[in-house]
Amino acid sequence: MSALQIKHLFGLQGVSKQDIRTILDNAKQFREILERPVKKVPSLRGMTVVNLFFENSTRTRTSFELAEKRLSADTVNFTSSNSSVKKGETLVDTLRNIESMKIDIVVVRHKGTGVPKFLAEHSNAIIVNAGDGAHEHPTQALLDMLTIEEKLGTLEGKNVTIIGDIRHSRVARSNLWGMSTMGAHVTLCGPSTLVPRNTDLMNHVTWEPDVKKAVANADAIIALRLQKERMDDALLPSMREYRNTFGITEELLECAKDKVIIMHPGPINRGVELDSDIADGEHSVILDQVTNGVAVRMAVLFLLAGGRNENS
Amino acid sequence: MKTRKPSCEHYANVVLKNAKFWNGKSFELRDEVRLTGSSSNNDSYEYDCNGALVLPALFALGVDFMEPLRDDVYTYVDGVDAMRRGGFYGAIYESAANPIDDVDKLTAADNRRPCDFNEGPGGTAYDIRFLGAYSKGFGTDSLAEMMELAPGVVGFGDGNAAIPHSRFLRLAMEYGKMTGKRFFFQPMDKTLRHSGCVHEGAYSDMLGMKGIPRIAETIVAYTVLETARFLQVPVHFKQVTCGETLDLIRNARKQGMDVTCDVGLYHLLLDDSCLETLDSAYHILPPIRSAADREALWKGLEDGTVNAISMNHTPVLRQDKVVNFEDSVPGALSLEIALPAIWQKLSERVGDARAIELLSTAPARLANAVRGENHAAAVVVLAADKPHVVVESDFAGHVCNSPLIGKELPSSILATYINGVWTDLG
Repeated sequence: MSALQIKHLFGLQGVSKQDIRTILDNAKQFREILERPVKKVPSLRGMTVVNLFFENSTRTRTSFELAEKRLSADTVNFTSSNSSVKKGETLVDTLRNIESMKIDIVVVRHKGTGVPKFLAEHSNAIIVNAGDGAHEHPTQALLDMLTIEEKLGTLEGKNVTIIGDIRHSRVARSNLWGMSTMGAHVTLCGPSTLVPRNTDLMNHVTWEPDVKKAVANADAIIALRLQKERMDDALLPSMREYRNTFGITEELLECAKDKVIIMHPGPINRGVELDSDIADGEHSVILDQVTNGVAVRMAVLFLLAGGRNENS
Repeated sequence: MKTRKPSCEHYANVVLKNAKFWNGKSFELRDEVRLTGSSSNNDSYEYDCNGALVLPALFALGVDFMEPLRDDVYTYVDGVDAMRRGGFYGAIYESAANPIDDVDKLTAADNRRPCDFNEGPGGTAYDIRFLGAYSKGFGTDSLAEMMELAPGVVGFGDGNAAIPHSRFLRLAMEYGKMTGKRFFFQPMDKTLRHSGCVHEGAYSDMLGMKGIPRIAETIVAYTVLETARFLQVPVHFKQVTCGETLDLIRNARKQGMDVTCDVGLYHLLLDDSCLETLDSAYHILPPIRSAADREALWKGLEDGTVNAISMNHTPVLRQDKVVNFEDSVPGALSLEIALPAIWQKLSERVGDARAIELLSTAPARLANAVRGENHAAAVVVLAADKPHVVVESDFAGHVCNSPLIGKELPSSILATYINGVWTDLG
């Protein structure tokens, strides 16, 4: 029984402010625990979490695995490259086979939109979305929100600008839903071939093609990785032109507020979407995001499993 | 697990009592109507319609029964079973997997055809016609043997395959013009489609799914129309999805071109808001477009631009739908539930006579399969105001891929009587 209104975490679209608040508040407590000499708590002792990654991932999978271990869960990593998926096993069969081994939580990443929801419809396990296609990556958005609250005190009334490949970004979609729910104002900016073409259902955010205007009032700027693997045709002329037009540079930051924070979901293409001086500079909170990622994932797993574990 | 199998009897005569019978102009309440079938059984059967409508049986465009690809799962017999359940006396058959590109394949397809699902191959109750391919193997740039195929096919089309290039389109139509047959196209530019699987619109962008823009359809429609105008060849557009294509067709007709078109059943019933469910049952190609597009199609039905409603009946294996949306196989069944799903709204929007034309006479005309006075009876008994909740067992065969499963339809089919085959669905 989840301690949240939601039973699974598919995305942040439609998730209530109360649930997001609960996750962020719990994450802050786990953040404190992570600073202790002994970083482990027994909250998920006796529970088994499967990390079911059908797409390559280093930091998200590592972050989830660390979160699971620090909650004392048993963890199993499953990647499509070393699985029966290669032999033609269907997604449902893969899940059911794993579920038969008496697992409790599945953390899934897949190239297809809606795979976490699909798996939840065919399973009794708790499903956590670690990224589905270009749809959502909710824990990344939650850690972004936690970082902003940590650095700026609150999300309410803050201006957050997201720059880059919005069209192919699950991070951007989760952020625009989550941050809007929490009272922040989100501005999206990117080249016309990399922003959504139809924004009727996302009209609660501002679209600003001029990057200087987009950063002018921002309290936080999130630079998105230029996802080369998703750009399988001529969406941009060159990395050079992208950097000169939309890259976060010292020159661009002269148009922004003095205390603006710079964020990035990683991994960074240094010198493309973000100059090295900025990534390593005083405005950057990128490494705080990484730490907060573990705390947020601990909170999500703990809360979704809430009531299921006698030890918690 | 399916359990329902509607009864099926053969009667030489059926007497329908208390029925609102279609007299060619309107529904007329009659105490008794005697219908003559073509069954070898001389028995007669009496049925009380309780005031239900009795309308002419329908003719389907765009049906594919999968044979011989997976005849362990869905066969011609299942397809004909679907036709009798849904009240269809005939269909234009297009196999996506087995192009009819030479006479041997046409003969093989014809031999597999069981016109009466109870009698097996060789019967004559159901009128299935074929489209021939204009290229060898669909979508290639080698011409099919159209001259030899012509006597046995209603026209030429390459299924859902993209036209390889404009020069081949010209050559295919130039050669095929000798046959006097119509060319059938489902307009879709493969480069603009890219790997899209849904309508490119607000929902696809919100969900991060790759979309298929309207111009993927209109650009090909324009190319086909220009080529057809140049060569003076009659063309038909299958499953038009947007108003912009209908505008091109209207303009072409104003200039005297022989252009016909149909729209898909599900494109009239649904819009892309269904994508929010992420349910693979809604994965249909061409894609279900926006509410505005759907309304443009209805306007096309009203003003006469659209000639017919297509069934786009496509069985899909269960395991090919029990996956996430983008990895699922597109397609939906429609024959069994088309009439009860659309009749009420269709008759409200266009009137009874036009509704019957769109579902029966107009599609049959495209196949030169219109029934005359001398034909045996072929009717559907429809309770227009009796709702029906769609269940798996409504569908024939071992598949049940329809987005309407679990949904309540406004009407119910009570019975069908087609060439002596009486099916009681009440």
